[in-house]
Amino acid sequence: MIALGAGAAVGVLAGLSSRSAHAVLRLDVTQGNVQQLPIALPDFVGVGLPDPGAARGVTQIIAANLQRSGLFAPIDPAAYIEKISNIDTQPRFPDWRAINAQALVTGKLSRMQDGRLGADFHLWDVFAGQRLDGKQYQTPPDNWRRVAHIISDAIYERLTGEMGYFDSRIVFVDESGPKERRVKRLAIMDQDGANVKYLTRGDDLVLTPRFSPKTQEITYMSYGPGSPRVFLFNIETGQREIVGNFPGMTFAPRFSPDGQRVIMSLQQGGNANIFVMDLRSKATTRLTDTAAIDTSPSYAPDGGRICFESDRGGRQQIYVMAAAGGAAQRVSFGEGSYSTPVWSPRGDAIAFTRQYQGRFSIGTMRPDGSGERILTEGFHNEGPTWSPNGRVLMFFRDPGGNAGPTLHTVDVTGRNEQRVPTPSYASDPAWSPLLS
Amino acid sequence: MMRTGVTISSIGHAAILAWSVLTFAAKPNEAKPIAAMPVDIISASELSQMTAGARTAAKVETPMPLVDKIGEVKPPDDPIAKVAATEIKAATDVPPVPAVKPPTPAQKTPAESKRDLIAEALKKEAAKKPEPKKAEAKAPAPPTQQPQPQPKFDPRKVEALLDKRVPQRLAATGDTLNSVPSLGTPSTMAAQLSQSELDGLRARLAQLWNPPAGASNPDELVVLVRIQLGPDGRLSAPPMVLSRGQSPLYIAARDGAVRAVFRGQPFDMLRLEHYDQWKDIEITFDPRDMIRG
Repeated sequence: MIALGAGAAVGVLAGLSSRSAHAVLRLDVTQGNVQQLPIALPDFVGVGLPDPGAARGVTQIIAANLQRSGLFAPIDPAAYIEKISNIDTQPRFPDWRAINAQALVTGKLSRMQDGRLGADFHLWDVFAGQRLDGKQYQTPPDNWRRVAHIISDAIYERLTGEMGYFDSRIVFVDESGPKERRVKRLAIMDQDGANVKYLTRGDDLVLTPRFSPKTQEITYMSYGPGSPRVFLFNIETGQREIVGNFPGMTFAPRFSPDGQRVIMSLQQGGNANIFVMDLRSKATTRLTDTAAIDTSPSYAPDGGRICFESDRGGRQQIYVMAAAGGAAQRVSFGEGSYSTPVWSPRGDAIAFTRQYQGRFSIGTMRPDGSGERILTEGFHNEGPTWSPNGRVLMFFRDPGGNAGPTLHTVDVTGRNEQRVPTPSYASDPAWSPLLS
Repeated sequence: MMRTGVTISSIGHAAILAWSVLTFAAKPNEAKPIAAMPVDIISASELSQMTAGARTAAKVETPMPLVDKIGEVKPPDDPIAKVAATEIKAATDVPPVPAVKPPTPAQKTPAESKRDLIAEALKKEAAKKPEPKKAEAKAPAPPTQQPQPQPKFDPRKVEALLDKRVPQRLAATGDTLNSVPSLGTPSTMAAQLSQSELDGLRARLAQLWNPPAGASNPDELVVLVRIQLGPDGRLSAPPMVLSRGQSPLYIAARDGAVRAVFRGQPFDMLRLEHYDQWKDIEITFDPRDMIRG
């Protein structure tokens, strides 16, 4: 529950207008009450569907998405007074006001003549009595889950003003088997945990998968035959290739914002430096040259700077430097060590893992190191990845003992933490960009 | 003998001791409960805003009170005339210096010197021009009207002193219409919305307003809404949004502010006698402090 920040507003100015002869009272409201928006989601009307449960399924996916975001509170359908049977007429707003719904979504899922699914929805502002949004989609019948995610994004965007993130996927390392013989497979699923598919068979150990911001490609590190290497994997075709031909071990890869380059660490002797490789020309550029371990590089969304972790000062800390290399500036100055920096797609924050006194936290700071905020803390939390809109972080949590890691999300306010369902233990999540 | 003396002395000392113990016993310092007086703490700017006219109005040479309608024009009552004049019998019943000018020390001095005179002489003196020459030198504009003899206070005629004018609460009245507010009239506004009404309105809106949380650019989220209310405290027209913006964030913030206004009605904390002041309200919803803080 969020319900915080209530309180009386500050600052009132009551005066007489100089513009008009009669008085206008002026009032400043500077404090609000951040709370979940009550939203009513009656079941979509199904028309000619082969599976009559699909309409309800779409509604439930939308409700679950909105609820998980922490910004909405779907109202229990048992409270609904009006039954929506025709979405082309205006709903009876007093019925929805009576149950304190502030927003209402009505929709229809129908089978079209060519066999495809058609989905319509209307978003209503109950108190203003106005239609806020409405769209139509057409899709192959087996794609109905995705339609539900797209509609969720449309509702989220209209009511919060921010980009949605529901129509996206997660690639992660699926971990199964006993602890001493864990099988680690690369897997992909929808952001809500549905539609899990395995991308590798588990013969080789895989680590740190990362999504391309532009294409349906991932890059990851794998212990193949020989030394660990960075690979490129095309999700659509299943094609796999090694990135570059380096003399030592390459690890911690990540795409540039345009998807044209991969930035990674190359181990040479006891230290590691950061290199970037152009995927087309295969040209490689060395960005750091220190006798330390520089790793986990991540680009700012404009591509102008990178952040990375380095132990050049004795302990792992986060540094920022120009994307072309040069002098790096340390930005993390808190207690403990800082690692796995990831630049937000919104550009305004860097997420990190902090290790302090044997505990691991996930937090964010501004790119200049100010405004540090710890979002979650525990025995072992690691590997944050940003949702496409920069509002939510996913990470993995290992409770220790015989149990294995699980995936969790936390929003940037730190108030809404959720477990992401996976078939077995899971680690190293990477969030895709929006699919559409 | 000795024994008798000791006994008497002992009894005497004991008596004195007992008396002093009873007499000088420390009385408990009991604080009597005091009824709490409710006090509104207002700032200096609020005070000046209540006592002055509009802050933004032009300064005029001779400030005129704001007048909404023409009231009954009658000369101010002379409270003294209502009480029957009585003989001054005591030397202390000195007729006051006319109320138009504050008394100066120079005016008091001659009056005090004449305190020794008998009452008849004082009455004659008072019937004459009250200003001695000394005072004339100091006061450039002495009042010309004759001072009237100060009547004696009669408790049986208290009601004659009460102001029986009908209170004018809804509009500022005067002898000439003046719709232009001026800066710096000395009187307070006729019917000021009370602070508790404004606080209640603000608290209602703050409770219902759900500002966008965690937005990256709070500057574009400031929304200015003008609402017009009927006497029942409900919107008499749809809210007008006076701020402008195109971004999805602004549009979401705008709808949220309007939603808070819709949900807040009826604004029953506003009292009907102040309707003229709250029928038209401009509300600024500004989440910047919340988001930055």
